[in-house]
Amino acid sequence: MTRPEEPSRPGENFEPYEEMRQIPIGVIMFAVALALWGGVLLYQSSYAVAVGRADETVLSPQSEQGLGLTGAKLFEANCTTCHQPGGEGVEFAIPPLDKSPFLAGGPEIAASILLRGIDGPIRVGDETFDGHMPSFASALDNAEIARLATYLQARFAGRKQAISGERVAALRREIADAGPFAGGQEIAARFDSSLSPQPEVKPLAGGMGISSGILELVNQGRGEVWSCSSCHGDRGQGADTVPRLAGLPADYIAKQLLDYTEGRRRNENMELVARSLSETEREGLGRYYASMRAASTARPSLGGNLERGRELVLSGDWSIGVPSCTSCHGPSAFGVTPGFPGLAAQHPSYTASQLAAWVSGERDNSRQKMMNVIANALNDRDRAAVADYLATLPPVPAPATTADEVKR
Amino acid sequence: MPLTVGLLLALSFAVSLLALAGLIWAISNHQLKVEQEDAYTIFAEGEAGTPDVDTPKHAPEIDRNQYDVRRAGLDVVSRPAVLLLVGSGVFWLVIGSAFGLLASLKLHLPDLLTEQAFFTFGRARTVHLNLVAYGWLSMTGIAVAMWVAPRIFHTPLRFARLPVVGAILWNIGVASGAVAIANGWTDGEEWLEIPWQIDILLAVAGAFFVVPLLATAARRDVDHIYVTGWYYLAALCWFPILFAIANIPYIHSGAQEATVNWWFAHNVLGLWLTPLGVGAAYYFIPKIIGKPIYSYSLSLLGFWGLALFYSQVGMHHLIGGPVPTWVVTLSIVHSVMMFIPVIAVAINQHVLVARNLWAVKESLPLRFIAFGALMYTLASFQGSIEALRSVNSVTHFTHYTVGHAHLGAYGFVSLIMFGAIYYMLPRTTGRAWPWPRAIAWHFWLVVVGFTIYFVSLTAGGLLQGFAMLDATRPFADSVRVTLVYLEWRSVGGALMTAGHLLLGIHVLALLARGPAWVPQTGYHPEPAVES
Repeated sequence: MTRPEEPSRPGENFEPYEEMRQIPIGVIMFAVALALWGGVLLYQSSYAVAVGRADETVLSPQSEQGLGLTGAKLFEANCTTCHQPGGEGVEFAIPPLDKSPFLAGGPEIAASILLRGIDGPIRVGDETFDGHMPSFASALDNAEIARLATYLQARFAGRKQAISGERVAALRREIADAGPFAGGQEIAARFDSSLSPQPEVKPLAGGMGISSGILELVNQGRGEVWSCSSCHGDRGQGADTVPRLAGLPADYIAKQLLDYTEGRRRNENMELVARSLSETEREGLGRYYASMRAASTARPSLGGNLERGRELVLSGDWSIGVPSCTSCHGPSAFGVTPGFPGLAAQHPSYTASQLAAWVSGERDNSRQKMMNVIANALNDRDRAAVADYLATLPPVPAPATTADEVKR
Repeated sequence: MPLTVGLLLALSFAVSLLALAGLIWAISNHQLKVEQEDAYTIFAEGEAGTPDVDTPKHAPEIDRNQYDVRRAGLDVVSRPAVLLLVGSGVFWLVIGSAFGLLASLKLHLPDLLTEQAFFTFGRARTVHLNLVAYGWLSMTGIAVAMWVAPRIFHTPLRFARLPVVGAILWNIGVASGAVAIANGWTDGEEWLEIPWQIDILLAVAGAFFVVPLLATAARRDVDHIYVTGWYYLAALCWFPILFAIANIPYIHSGAQEATVNWWFAHNVLGLWLTPLGVGAAYYFIPKIIGKPIYSYSLSLLGFWGLALFYSQVGMHHLIGGPVPTWVVTLSIVHSVMMFIPVIAVAINQHVLVARNLWAVKESLPLRFIAFGALMYTLASFQGSIEALRSVNSVTHFTHYTVGHAHLGAYGFVSLIMFGAIYYMLPRTTGRAWPWPRAIAWHFWLVVVGFTIYFVSLTAGGLLQGFAMLDATRPFADSVRVTLVYLEWRSVGGALMTAGHLLLGIHVLALLARGPAWVPQTGYHPEPAVES
């Protein structure tokens, strides 16, 4: 640290300059190595582009190719949870497809029902059912609906009449925002008057019984508290980690709001909002969203394995002690009133973050601690798989909101 | 082999590297030849090789590397511009630090000064950034360039009044930009917050700096431009282009706007502040030590490597964003390639300092500058590694990035500017610093303060990043975990601000005495501090 034997301070007149030395060989070798690495990485970026393109095709439900599932596979994936693998239905609950007169009248009927869903009484064979069929318009693309309708007709009505994706696209445009069929009567009137006499449709109470106070909370908010729709959307459809509320059981919504108020469920935004609500308002909001219908806006977005997700949702995995989601949350994961929320068409980020919150104990507002145990048995990949698969399902059909029920 | 984006990229990358290697090889070879011929120019035709017994004491190398700046009167010509620019720079540093400290305090004392929109975090932080980037670093960097350029070109600064006008306009621009931001009028993009209408003023002011420097370079009295000159000339060509393109309103929107935004925001560091800092370090380190830089070829590699690689670096801020994958990958590769020029500069500068540690002990300006040069190496290495997708997915959107930004803009550029001010002002005013011990205080305040600042943000940022990635933890955890580190950051920031106040008072005290118009003979301006 001492200055070497130099006569004086460095002179004020010294001019900086550089010595004529070559670049050290080590630096050159290092530079060449880095250049090789960079070249390889750039060359490989095509691979990333290819993967991205493939992902895009899978993620877009409106694409004409879709997952490329055959009609049989689509039937298995979308219909059998309710209509059963043999198409025999469930007595008193789910109409049979096998030998159903609705399938005999040409594939356009099946395609239209798939696109619109049914919300009203329907008579199939000798039995009358309270029809609650979801719309698959937001879950399946045109080609898929065409293949599925063609398959259903061939298998259950024995007719080899096919419908094209273009025809389904045209139907989709015709239907636009028509909403679900109001029971078998409307279907019969629209397509085939020869269908067996259909039951009378009782007028629905849609919108009735929802006080203007509730609508104001939903649309404008009150005082310093913002509106529900500012985050959850004007149709309760949600986005990302903001959950879809449309079609969740009314009691479930009211309970969550109460839990936020009393600190059993935690979320900085919702705690603030929920604390401003009265008991009547909590129940009113529950009924409002339970009766709401909204097309699915959820898409798989976490890169989860959809096959694995399907397995967990429909069958569970007993090797890790996980029961199927549908065993409690109902067929097609549409929810079971009053306590089990619908999971179908829920946003994958929300589902996965809730599963994660059950693991960490951040969420533990169910007395049985069932979800804590189940979520804990799933790993990150499983949680993503379940969440992504649930996002491919059609949205929960609205429950019967008859006048009696709303007045309750 | 199918023609893919990747193949095209890899090929053009290879071609550009070969071109770079060829360029450096050609320049350094040519220069070697010139050096040989140069050595003969002092001889009359046919005289070479014959001992010249009459003038045995004038060896040619000594003449070539000695130049009496005072006799040439260069500092007197550049003095008004340098003093005005340094004075303004230090003024904006003090104000800017106050805003930085306020923004830092607000992160753990959220109820502090919330009554007025002017003082809210979003505006205080933005005012801080613009004041220190465009007020402090740019003006001081230009001041150093105005002072150094005539010395390496062996000719007085041309149009010496233009930079004075430029400094006045620039000050008006910075001040009105800060007022606009504080009142909520911004362009809404990071590093480009100053409204474009005000940017026009800054661009005009910039021309008043560029013209004199280019004119001085054009009339230089040397054949070979020293490496500092390359950095200065390049920076003054690059920055106006960057600044103008990025600020043109209404031509970019959406994802393109973000791409241009980060192209600019990173280039303003690498192609503007970095050359100002590296150029200054290249001048002051050998100047103070009195020995030459290690290798001319490495200087070439460092400069041309920066020129080639840096312009693509910014898009690593958009990893995971809605821009084409290949754009981001190209940016990552270029970010990592920055290792090459940085290592070249590091060898050139650190070898000289490491062999002459006595000088770091004796000269306070060199202490600042050598520390700053070391931080350049560290900040660049850290930046290259941060650009990798695996690291970026943890550190992005965390305080870690803020720590890194300050390692570059503060640890590197600001420290070098401090050293340059302490070396420059006595020589340009002809007056010694009134309180030499205050310089040592300044050094230790900012070094200790910055160490606390950097270590706490780096640790807190990493914890924050891991908390955000853990899906089983609520988002609020990633905020809570940083709290204690943010408090320490404020402690570090307060120490740094105290150092800046000390500098501000010291500069005021020096300037208050007025410049000695003719430096006293035999006067040696090196601060006489042995600490």
